Amino acid sequence: MMVFNRFPAAAGVLLAIVVALNFSMSAAAYGQPAQAPASDPTNAGKAVFSRANCVGCHKWHGNGGGGYGGDALSLRKTELTRDQIIETVGCGRPGTGMPFFLRGAYDEVKCHDMNRQDAGAQMPPEGGTFLRPKDIEAVSDYVIAHIKGGGEPTFAECVAFFSSTSRVCDVYKTQAQKPDDAAAASTGKGQ
Amino acid sequence: MERSSGNTRMLMRSCLLAAAAAAASAMGALPVSAADEVSQERLLNVDKEPGNWLHHHQNYSAHRFSTLKEVNRDNVKNLKVAWTMHLGGIEGGGIWSHGGLEGTPIAENGFLYVTDGWGSVYKIDAHGGRGALVWKMDPKTDRDWAGAVACCGVDNRGVALWGNLVISHTLDGRLIATNKETGQVAWQRTVADPDKGEVITGAPLIVKNMAITGVAGAEYGIRGWIAATDLSTQKEVWRTHTIPGKGEPGSETWKDSNNAAAAGGGSTWVTGTYDPATDTIIWGIGNPGPDWDNEYRPGDNLYTDSSLALDATTGKIKWHYQHTPNDPYDYDSVAENVLVDVPGPSGPRKLALEADRNGFAYAIDRTNGKFVWGLPFVKKVTWTKGLDAESGKPIEYDPNKSVQTYIASVTPSRTNMETDICPGNMGGKNWPPTAYNPDLKLWYIPVIESCNRIKVEVMTPDKLKPREFWTGGGPSQPFKITGSVTAIDVTTGKIAGKMETPFPNLGGILATPDLIFTGQPSGEVHALDAKSLQKLWEFNTGGGVNAPPMTFTVDGKQYIAILVGLGGAWDKWFIDSTPELKKIQPGSMLYVFAL
Repeated sequence: MMVFNRFPAAAGVLLAIVVALNFSMSAAAYGQPAQAPASDPTNAGKAVFSRANCVGCHKWHGNGGGGYGGDALSLRKTELTRDQIIETVGCGRPGTGMPFFLRGAYDEVKCHDMNRQDAGAQMPPEGGTFLRPKDIEAVSDYVIAHIKGGGEPTFAECVAFFSSTSRVCDVYKTQAQKPDDAAAASTGKGQ
Repeated sequence: MERSSGNTRMLMRSCLLAAAAAAASAMGALPVSAADEVSQERLLNVDKEPGNWLHHHQNYSAHRFSTLKEVNRDNVKNLKVAWTMHLGGIEGGGIWSHGGLEGTPIAENGFLYVTDGWGSVYKIDAHGGRGALVWKMDPKTDRDWAGAVACCGVDNRGVALWGNLVISHTLDGRLIATNKETGQVAWQRTVADPDKGEVITGAPLIVKNMAITGVAGAEYGIRGWIAATDLSTQKEVWRTHTIPGKGEPGSETWKDSNNAAAAGGGSTWVTGTYDPATDTIIWGIGNPGPDWDNEYRPGDNLYTDSSLALDATTGKIKWHYQHTPNDPYDYDSVAENVLVDVPGPSGPRKLALEADRNGFAYAIDRTNGKFVWGLPFVKKVTWTKGLDAESGKPIEYDPNKSVQTYIASVTPSRTNMETDICPGNMGGKNWPPTAYNPDLKLWYIPVIESCNRIKVEVMTPDKLKPREFWTGGGPSQPFKITGSVTAIDVTTGKIAGKMETPFPNLGGILATPDLIFTGQPSGEVHALDAKSLQKLWEFNTGGGVNAPPMTFTVDGKQYIAILVGLGGAWDKWFIDSTPELKKIQPGSMLYVFAL
């Protein structure tokens, strides 16, 4: 069940918390980098991005945005480092709707130097699935490689994400890329 | 409970499928008797076949009232589960982790027609005291395409019947006609375009060989419409935009220089009603967009937040009544308009009743769109002191102002960027349908007793992008939200009773001569006394009730049916207001009760 529905507190404050607090499990403790096909070492992270429902708030393109669910921050505009992203995925963001995805966070391991009791009302929600440390590394690598620093989402990015027969990417086509669509739509049939 | 053996059931199902398939392949024609063909005559006279439930809202007037009374006040305590059926459609897609069930079953001659959230249609044989699936039509909805722009869940509220066809919608914008006997798709037509942020969640309304379709997407910058498709030619008969084009009447109520009207919202995602006496369709119109930055769109923003009357033959607008001009709250008016006739001081009064997201219940004269009465049906309203007795407008409404502030201290605006509103933005009353008992003249409203917090984002034209939220802010849920069933005496326009519930009413209501049925998202289905609203019966389904109950007969016996499976907007966007509901699991199940 999704619980990503709170507004974040001031982003600057949170960033400061994320940076300042001691993350009890260092990134190095996660071990070897995630294994992925040689074609794109971040493919494993793309699968995690879908499976953990990051898309539920950040959307496939990572831009997040407002709406009924509040502001999921833009991962395209994020300034977080790889380690900070790993920490944020594992521990969530206290006081916001960003869930924690690391099993035992705030219980077996402290997050942001807090256990569940310390976090109190600021306790972030629990993710719909737990991710193993390698998965968290993988999704962070995917965000760094394919989302962070991106401009407006493109058709090529969308097709790379979905690799499916869905029409979800059509809207990102440029005029030059959609010569046949107008004719197809006007028939009103044949879906 | 189940009486026939599994083998018998399999055999029967195989026979049905085989017979139907043989007939279809041999002739291309189907063994349908005239009694099974749904005609305008039958749709106009549903009172002649009380054991069937042929309209989404039970009749053209949206009464959701059944005269069946085998189950009544004296024996309802003995109501038990007769049979259940697991359905599918629970899968996620787009931004949604799972689907839910919001549909009203249709019943005809002992067969039920229900949908799941992704628009699959199930025909179920209810004869013999058990349910057997006859066929399932899976429209193969493009989940990523549609689910990414469905503001409020993977939802489908049900089908309609016409001729030998089952008429349904899909979230990805299609109108589909399925052969009632075989389950084969006869034809389909694209009506809405998810590339523009348009999706369809409502059930079709069938009027005179036309399927009337409404659209969702006011949170994604659509320009709303209502469209009529000819069910013989499969062509569009008319499409009426709910936001006037340049130069059309009402366009003067969009005073900005950003062309806000082009993305002004006004969606139409709840099935409307039809008055055959005047050949008028009455349909509720949704909120303007961006939802919470009303300074972006100065003016009254017609026909958002209005009840709209259309000529059924041409789609031309006859009249409108707007509830919340220049709405800064997301208080849409998509709710069904319930058509009732009551005695008045100078003869019978022909009313259209609407329970609005803004917390007020309205009675409008449906012959001319004039305000008759209005009153708050929720316990707490903070955005206005009340309605003007003459016009029904909020008393703070100033027609000379282009940006309305109502009670400014609580109203979201560019100078009040974070504020608490009551009702919260879900209402009031959302899509779950009301019911009307014409004998008691009582109108039952499924209420969300709520406040929530709105944060405003100042919008600029460059923020308007295809398939992205266009809301000008967003809600959060710092307050606990509860619910009620509130009854209004339509002859007086006063509240006749309120039965408070621990959770908001997210399912809607069925009325019978001396009972009403409803449910809770925590799982309970309730039967209440129609007059006192006292609870007479309860059954916990173990899932979340997010759909309206209905009733029908088969083999001469009365059944109550309800779909159970919490989905929709609530468990993604609003769950923090009802933390106990976090434990409710996604589900997809049909429950059928009998004595």
